[in-house]
Amino acid sequence: MRWIARTTILRVCGQAVLTVVVTTAVLYLLQNHLSTPIIALLYLLPVGLSTTLWGLGAGITAAFGAFLAFNFFFIEPYHSLFVHQPQDLLALVIFFIVAGMISQLVARAQANLAHAQAREHEATHLYELSTALVGLREQTEIAQTVAQHIQQVFQAQVVQVTMQAGKQPIMVTIPTTFQLPDTEASYQAPLLTARGLLGTVQLWQNGRSFTPNEERLLQTFVSQGALALEYALLADAETRAKVLEESDRLKSALLSSVSHELRTPLVTIKAAATSLLDGEGQWESTAREELLTAIASETDHLNRLVGNLLDMSRIEAGALNPQRQWDILADIVAEVNARMRRAMETYHLEIDVPEDLPLIPVDHVQMDQVFTNLLSNCQKYAPPQTTIHIKAWQAENAVQVCVSNEGPHVAEEHLERIFDKFNRITAVSGITSTGLGLSICKGIIEAHNGRIWAENLPNGFAFHFTIPLVWEGMTPPKLPTENLEVSFL
Amino acid sequence: MNTQPHILVIDDEPQILRALRTILTQKQFRVTVASRGEEGLALAAVAPPDVIILDLTLPDMDGIQMCARIREWTQIPIIVLSVRDSEKDKVAALDQGADDYLTKPFGIEELLARIRVALRHFTQIQGSKEPIIKAGDLTIDLARHIVYQAGEEVKLTATEFKLLAYLASNAGRVLTHQSILTHVWGLAEADRVEYLRVYMRQLRKKLEPDPDQPQYLLTEPGVGYRFLID
Repeated sequence: MRWIARTTILRVCGQAVLTVVVTTAVLYLLQNHLSTPIIALLYLLPVGLSTTLWGLGAGITAAFGAFLAFNFFFIEPYHSLFVHQPQDLLALVIFFIVAGMISQLVARAQANLAHAQAREHEATHLYELSTALVGLREQTEIAQTVAQHIQQVFQAQVVQVTMQAGKQPIMVTIPTTFQLPDTEASYQAPLLTARGLLGTVQLWQNGRSFTPNEERLLQTFVSQGALALEYALLADAETRAKVLEESDRLKSALLSSVSHELRTPLVTIKAAATSLLDGEGQWESTAREELLTAIASETDHLNRLVGNLLDMSRIEAGALNPQRQWDILADIVAEVNARMRRAMETYHLEIDVPEDLPLIPVDHVQMDQVFTNLLSNCQKYAPPQTTIHIKAWQAENAVQVCVSNEGPHVAEEHLERIFDKFNRITAVSGITSTGLGLSICKGIIEAHNGRIWAENLPNGFAFHFTIPLVWEGMTPPKLPTENLEVSFL
Repeated sequence: MNTQPHILVIDDEPQILRALRTILTQKQFRVTVASRGEEGLALAAVAPPDVIILDLTLPDMDGIQMCARIREWTQIPIIVLSVRDSEKDKVAALDQGADDYLTKPFGIEELLARIRVALRHFTQIQGSKEPIIKAGDLTIDLARHIVYQAGEEVKLTATEFKLLAYLASNAGRVLTHQSILTHVWGLAEADRVEYLRVYMRQLRKKLEPDPDQPQYLLTEPGVGYRFLID
């Protein structure tokens, strides 16, 4: 290192001396045409030139060389460093002062320019870094961006950024393929934010140390990274707060809806039971029967409500886990129909589920639940004495089911929202519902990799859903047929 | 000598115990209750009941494990009580030796029907099996492999008959998918529930007046099937 510096100094001085020699040679040839003051002025040229090109050291060297050459060749007595005339001595001294000042001034301007350029570079790099960091929310992305910029700007061998702000510490190394050196990092800075130490930036550079300016810039880069990280954490916290707020809102909606829904059947049960207790023996047998039936059916209602809530919490927790098996859709529909026959007796139910549909891979109980919920939804909104249609057909690699009724339309913009929790779009008075039934259907169908949607029909409303026929890479199995004759063997 | 059937109820909810004791006593049963698993096991050993009603969620012991413990020494019928959506537990309890299950909340007539089936089946295990089973219009001759519906012979394939015979000779009891598949198709096919679905559908078409609303061959969703006589 020091050797390199010394050769540079020697080279620069040599170049300065050379300019003086050339100038002297030219002036010597032309000396008959030039007066001494002009020569003195012209000697300022190599001084200025050397300073501009090679810096202050070269300028001083040139000034000194010019002073000597001027004295030696152009001041009487010639070819000697003696000076006879006092005014010549004065001229020499002034020349030396002027030359020195020029080289000083030029050098300072030069340095200022270099400094300004360096500042401009820094500003550009910083600008690039901060633009790249704008909008980043992921810690990994921030770490990556900071590491990349530092590596590019400082020509580092390898840069490593670690962050311990999130649940899992993040470590980014640029270039990724580079093996970390065993030696200690050439530069290391903490990622300090208002929350304290959130990580570190380390940089290896083959033993080269940094100038104070470079270190300052590095520090600025690291601070930028820390700022971006802190901003991301704040934004993150804000998002979380919003989500919490939303879930809080949902929970209170649930609570008010559920407590209302639960209380309604309880009112009936309590009233019926206490009247029976009070007037035991006085009730006519038909009235008694009516009260008891009310108690029994409201208990079932309560049970369904609790079941829906459980289903919903299971769907929310992602714990639905369908127990899928190849099943016959027509069987499931028939079972639901048989069970709901009493409840649906005011409707005309038309079932069109072909027997030759392929077997479908579903959880029998959950599928039953889907049909039950869709039918009870139809029952809530479709006017009595109308037709409810259940249709199924094969649509390419899926079975599609349509449950349609002659109920009222739902505004197009709400068609998707009806499957959201607690979204009872059509607020019809006298309809009891927690608004959970359809979202449970959605949860179940999606757990079967299917799709559910609703549409308005010219004269009613329809739910559609699909169940893919391919399950775990298998298509519906076909069973071997059995010869009837075997039974007589 | 007390001839009233003796029922042991094991449940940790005092209200349920109180209600069941009142109702079952009224229905001419002798009732013993226990609120913990260990207590129930001890009571069953001291005075063996005719039927055990067992809640699957007990504070001190897993209900499925209870079934296994009871089956170590006795064939007393066990009816397990569980909540909706725990099909896995029901199936596990049935596979561990429970005879039947009821989903809470249940109607008392359902419970009485289950108790009747359990008592009848228990006496059947000890006695000989009837060779001819009658259910409504159906007559199943287990020895001669013939099925009549309203006096007319119905032609069944060998597998269909085997399936029907297994269900009918356990009439009233729920049989899990796995136990039916193992019994009819063999252990290797114990997971092929689709076989069962397809064959049950065929059987219903041949035997039920309305296959979509079966009277005899009932589905127990998520658990298995049950052959109903009355």
